[in-house]
Amino acid sequence: MSSQRDARGRATTPDRLQPDSRSAAVARHLIRRAAQQVPAAVSARLEEEWLADLATRTGSLSRLRLALGCCWAARVIGAEHAAWGVVAAGTTSPKVLTARAPVDLSFVSGRTLALLTIACIHIAVLYSLATGLMQRTITPEPAMQVSFPTEIEVAPRAPAANNAPSHAHPRLRSPAPKVDIEPPVSAELPPPPAVAPQAADRNSVPPPPASTRVLGGPGVGFPATEDFYPAAARRLGEKGAATVQVCVDVTGQLNAAPLLAASSGSARLDEGALRLARAGSGHYRPTIEDGRAVNSCYPIRVRFELRN
Amino acid sequence: MRISLQTLRVLEPFLENPTDELSGADLQKRSRIASGTLYPILLRLESAGWFTSRWESVDPASVGRPRRRLYRLTASGLARASELFASFGRGVLA
Repeated sequence: MSSQRDARGRATTPDRLQPDSRSAAVARHLIRRAAQQVPAAVSARLEEEWLADLATRTGSLSRLRLALGCCWAARVIGAEHAAWGVVAAGTTSPKVLTARAPVDLSFVSGRTLALLTIACIHIAVLYSLATGLMQRTITPEPAMQVSFPTEIEVAPRAPAANNAPSHAHPRLRSPAPKVDIEPPVSAELPPPPAVAPQAADRNSVPPPPASTRVLGGPGVGFPATEDFYPAAARRLGEKGAATVQVCVDVTGQLNAAPLLAASSGSARLDEGALRLARAGSGHYRPTIEDGRAVNSCYPIRVRFELRN
Repeated sequence: MRISLQTLRVLEPFLENPTDELSGADLQKRSRIASGTLYPILLRLESAGWFTSRWESVDPASVGRPRRRLYRLTASGLARASELFASFGRGVLA
């Protein structure tokens, strides 16, 4: 046995015995480093043994896999020696290791750890089912539509001094949009009522200037509505529309807590609508009156729909 | 000693021919166990008296490679391994 010994008495193998390649050199380096991590009693033996096995490997990947495996083995062996107190009788002795009485330093056994892992997985699955996460990941997201019918109110306001007959305020309701957030609405002045020109003709007085009032609504940056569809309601297939009264200042922020004006028939959906209304504070379009933003209260309608 | 499935896989080639002496490289090929798992098992089995090992009787300079460490089942190891496989049934490794 002509293996060389280093200053620490460890067996070393001349590099010329190994394939001359960079991967082999790296693998040898890793193996020697790994062998230093194990207890000194078995360090030299394992280093020589692992280097011998390395010599049988061909291919860079195979060598590196072996070297990395030895690094892992060194960690395991080191941990086990700390628990077992293995004594080495010498690297060349046929009987190398003698085991003492085991000292169990582990706090939990492998079986306990497995049971804990299984319990954690069960808890995670139950939590997912309870909160709707599982449905979100397993089934395709049900199409949902939350719409805000925007009301546009055009109110010609006649001066008090004007004795012209009052006219019913035309109240225009736009159809429910199919998108979540509508762009800001611009309102055109309606033509004066049909009777006004006749009166104007008779009295030669120009028609009174009409004031415009465009109610606000959800504006740019309003929260993503699908995030407020209650998971439980979605699982139960609940759908409906709730109307929420919001009071918005000139900056688009709520200046009062939103109130439920009309229930959807589901407490869960109503709560979802209220949460959405609260979350949208700062992203409302203020009501425009005569070209100026004003504080106002107006209803928004939140519709929850499931589409297959 | 705790017997894992990997431990059974290490023992299996020795039971096929109990007089065989196998190195770590041989066992990796036959058992298809990664080195990071294999070597701790070998040391564990040797510490428990199931295996005995020795250095290969060759001159590294003449064969152009380091010596291999050869493992062999002891008599008690053979008895215990046989009993173990009989109780588990060999089909467990199939």
